Amino acid sequence: MENILVNSLTTTLQNLSGMIAHFLPRLIAMIAIIVIGGIIAWILKVIVRRFLWFVKFNQICEATGFTQMLAKAALPSPTELLSRLVFWVVWVSFLLFGFNALEIAPLQEEISRFFLFLPQIFVAIVILFVGVLAANFFGRATLLTAVNTNWPSPRLLSSIVRFLIITLAVTMALERIGLGRGVVEIAFSIAFGAVMLGLALAFGLGGRDVARKLLERHFLENEEKEDDQDGGISHL
Amino acid sequence: MAKGTFLSDDFLRQLTAVGEVDILVGVPTSNNRKTIEHVVSAIQIGLVKYFSRARTVLINPDAGSRDGTSELLRNASLPDFRTALATPPLRTMHTVTTRYHSSLGPGGALRLILAAADLLRAKACAIVSPDLISITPEWVDALIRPIYHEGYDYLAPIYQRQKFDGLLIKNILSPLISAVYGYRIEEPVGGEFGLSGNLACDLLGQDLWHEDFIRYGAPVWMTATALSGNYRLCQSFLGPKIQSSNQVEVGLADTIQRVVGALFRSLEMHEPQWISRNGSQTVPTFGFQSELDLGPLRVNRKKMCDMFRTGVAELFSILGKILSPATLASIQQVAQSDESCCHFTDELWVKTVYEFAIAYHHSVMNRDHLLQALTPIYRGRISSYLLENHGASFQELKARIESLRVRYENLKPYFITGWRAKA
Amino acid sequence: MNQKNFPFDDDPLWYKDAIFYEVHVRTFKDSDGDGIGDFRGLMEKLDYLEELGVNTLWLLPFYPSPLKDDGYDISNYTDIHPSYGTLEDFRLFLNEAHRRGMRVLTELVVNHTSDQHPWFQEARQSRDNPRRDWYVWSDTPEKYRNARIIFTDTEQSNWAWDSVSKAYYWHRFFSHQPDLNYDNPAVREEVWNIMKFWLDLGVDGFRLDAVPYLVEREGTSCENLPETHEVLKFLRHRLDTFYRCKFLLAEANQWPSDVRAYFGDGDECHVAFHFPLMPRMFMAVRLEDRKPVIEILEKTPPIPETCQWGIFLRNHDELTLEMVTDEERDYLYDEYAKDRIMRVNVGIRRRLAPLMENDRRRIELLNGLLLSLPGSPIIYYGDEIGMGDNVYLGDRNGVRTPMQWNGGWNAGFSNADPEMLYLPLISNALYGYQAVNVESQRRSMHSLLSWMKQIIRIRKSSRVFSRGSLEFLNPANHRVLAYIREAGQDKFLAVNNLSSSAQAVELDLRRFQGLIPIEMFGGNPFPRVNNRPYLLTLGPYQFFWFKLRKL
Repeated sequence: MENILVNSLTTTLQNLSGMIAHFLPRLIAMIAIIVIGGIIAWILKVIVRRFLWFVKFNQICEATGFTQMLAKAALPSPTELLSRLVFWVVWVSFLLFGFNALEIAPLQEEISRFFLFLPQIFVAIVILFVGVLAANFFGRATLLTAVNTNWPSPRLLSSIVRFLIITLAVTMALERIGLGRGVVEIAFSIAFGAVMLGLALAFGLGGRDVARKLLERHFLENEEKEDDQDGGISHL
Repeated sequence: MAKGTFLSDDFLRQLTAVGEVDILVGVPTSNNRKTIEHVVSAIQIGLVKYFSRARTVLINPDAGSRDGTSELLRNASLPDFRTALATPPLRTMHTVTTRYHSSLGPGGALRLILAAADLLRAKACAIVSPDLISITPEWVDALIRPIYHEGYDYLAPIYQRQKFDGLLIKNILSPLISAVYGYRIEEPVGGEFGLSGNLACDLLGQDLWHEDFIRYGAPVWMTATALSGNYRLCQSFLGPKIQSSNQVEVGLADTIQRVVGALFRSLEMHEPQWISRNGSQTVPTFGFQSELDLGPLRVNRKKMCDMFRTGVAELFSILGKILSPATLASIQQVAQSDESCCHFTDELWVKTVYEFAIAYHHSVMNRDHLLQALTPIYRGRISSYLLENHGASFQELKARIESLRVRYENLKPYFITGWRAKA
Repeated sequence: MNQKNFPFDDDPLWYKDAIFYEVHVRTFKDSDGDGIGDFRGLMEKLDYLEELGVNTLWLLPFYPSPLKDDGYDISNYTDIHPSYGTLEDFRLFLNEAHRRGMRVLTELVVNHTSDQHPWFQEARQSRDNPRRDWYVWSDTPEKYRNARIIFTDTEQSNWAWDSVSKAYYWHRFFSHQPDLNYDNPAVREEVWNIMKFWLDLGVDGFRLDAVPYLVEREGTSCENLPETHEVLKFLRHRLDTFYRCKFLLAEANQWPSDVRAYFGDGDECHVAFHFPLMPRMFMAVRLEDRKPVIEILEKTPPIPETCQWGIFLRNHDELTLEMVTDEERDYLYDEYAKDRIMRVNVGIRRRLAPLMENDRRRIELLNGLLLSLPGSPIIYYGDEIGMGDNVYLGDRNGVRTPMQWNGGWNAGFSNADPEMLYLPLISNALYGYQAVNVESQRRSMHSLLSWMKQIIRIRKSSRVFSRGSLEFLNPANHRVLAYIREAGQDKFLAVNNLSSSAQAVELDLRRFQGLIPIEMFGGNPFPRVNNRPYLLTLGPYQFFWFKLRKL
């Protein structure tokens, strides 16, 4: 009895020590990976920040109105944001690598699935982000153009443009992740929306001036019949 | 054409043949077949009549006219000087024509003219619009004499205008430039200018030609640069300016975006020069200014007023980012007031313009959008201006414009505070 | 008459190849120590002129005269002024000149005489004197009011009061120069007699002074009248009938279209001065623009085959500015005679070198134009060494000072006391005879004189200069005056940089594709002409003369 107990204890201890002896290096390896990953991520972050500073990324974003939007959401400057993003993505990846080194089968499976999925999420985030930006920009452009050309209900028009662009962005993002796949109807309507958006974009961006002139002429002609818009005055 | 240059080999060859000149007149064209012959012969007669001994050249950058403007110009024969009360020219008269891409806008033409002035070492340059109907040979004298003989560096024109002509100039450009830069220039964006060779070289040397605003805002920038630097400034009275109407009309919003945008951008560039200037001084004015009233214009004020009201209502969120809460509230009050008395005071207007300039400087949003948001408010101001000055005489109107300028000047500290504040 | 020594008698068009040298006997060399140049002195210096290369001498009036207008007021047409020598001296000089292949042209001043001339003295005696009708008389100064006054500085009217016969007499120039009446056949006959006298002595031609003013008619400007041309045709006919290889040179300070008439149909004058071209050459160099020269030559009408233009830069008169517009005159005054003392009548009393501010390059450029543009060139004495002037001497005497032969006593002009000289020598530091004289320039290969000899030699090497056609090339660079002259197979190209800075020019020489331009001063070939623009670069005021050779 005593022997059995001793034996089993010994075996258990042996097993345990064996397991520990087996597991410890992996743990150390994991920690090492995580630490080194952290350092690499930090270096990358510095490099990216320097690079973006060098190419005057902040100024570029300022011109597009991106910075102002970030500021409104109490987020740091675009350069800072992007470099931090790089840091976290790299470090999380190393973290996962580290866990992987533990060679725990179910965990490994999840991790590999995560790695397969990661780029998709990343792309989806970017799409969403750009979509929101574009929606804001074109929504405002539409609003201003409509007001300056005396188009009826400018805000409604602006909201439609904004909504269409965001819808498109969301669907595209979802599709990236693979959630919207089965829904053909949605895809179809989205495609239709995209066409509409394309037109809106064409009007709003490519042919902005043409569109405005067309509109202006249209309205001016109509109004001239009753009265000139600005009369005969010249501003310059 | 060699890489990295904006001067074509052909243009350069033509310039080599012309050699050093004393006076250069630039006439940028773009489909001006109807008026170009008249303009060019007025210039040639003017040059012979008033500067018969000077070496002269006429530079014509053409934005790819498809109506044969440049051919017409190249093959034009010299005018009959004897019937034009001038003696025949002593020297060969040169006309140099070159093409540039229309996408470069008037700024592209200006750059070619300045480059020619630099290469030919011109002492005085004038820039003249190609679509003038009212130009006379005397314009050449008025534009060039103060530069060539009196040693001025920059000459702005003064036109005889109808009562409600040039409202953007009277309400924003001229008083804002006077207040900020400290020199009272009446017409900072006329189509005609005089420049010394010195100023032309300095303008050419500025590293701005790639910037977007220069394409259409070059005249404002040129004026602002002349005012910001250590140049001798003057104005000259030209007479009525009547242009051929075949040009494509540019909408008000676009005009504001181009011209006011260029001015705001110039303010940014010249900040070190103007920020410490106080008050404003008059600039010597040449020529005899007649006070002939050219008669009233028919104006539809109601439409403008409506557009103003809609604009303020619809753009509330955008304006909120640009204007201070107090100013926005006042504007709203004006917009919501009774239909007939849409009264936009000078003080409110000047504050609005200043706050737009500040918002532009701090890039609170896309700058084009910001400038577009100014249009409806400007309409409100104009509608009010027209109402208040409906029966005003020429002198009264002059006094009103003067008081607006003073208002701009008085509020300059307000502007500087906002300009310097961090967003 | 010594006709044997005439190597060129058989070419009746010899005046086309003439290179004139204009000289006043008084100014050239004094052989007898009286301070005034004379024929024996001039004869001594013929070797110098031969060496220079000129082939025709134009002598200013040397006839007996009260010398109130530098000899243009003649009191005896068939003698020599005693200060200059005797008829025998003249005959000797003429033979010596002919022996050296040089022709001699004298002045025929027959529009007017001196008021000291016996004819006028007789005419004024009484209203019925037989000579009375030899001059133009009137009881009132109101006749011929449309005629302009030429010597605006000194004369108020073209009529002068004769206190002896109590009438007005007509004079286009000074009041001491009464005009002869050409409506009187006796006057014409007498003029022919004068010509005959000199032609028989061996003179080769006459310069007809003041030729547009011979005849007067009411209601006209009294210039260039058809009756005047009648007189010329009469004289020319006589000349052609009785003599060979003689010629007439018309002095008509008029526009080319008016001067053209003096050639007639080849039956009036052989040569006429091209007055309007002269100021325009000066203007072109100052403006740095070829326009004035091209314009005037393009406005010049073609002339009969047997006729020739006489072209010049400077002469014994002021640089006349009558044939320019008011604007051009103001410009030339401002540029060349800023100081009012340099101006006289309607012109500038200065020599070539001071006008060019003694800039050798500009002096050479202008001489280059003179010797390569169509016409027979006339060189004014002293200009070949770059002599200066003295604007303080009054009237036009400033450009008539003694020739500067060397740096010695009286510049080698005379052995007289300096006070005795007819005019003082130029003695300032820049143009004075110590600095500018024949002797020193002869010793230097690079002096203006040596250069002038060279260019005259080149000019004489081809008849393309004297007889060739003219065609302007119009390169885009207006500072460059380029022209082609062609005579038969001879082709000549001149390229002149009128500006003070270096210039590049592209010439359209496609018509001469395949020819080789030979630079005529050095004889070097330049790159062959092809179908592309021919590129040349020229230094300040530089010019090229090319012979276009087919090889």
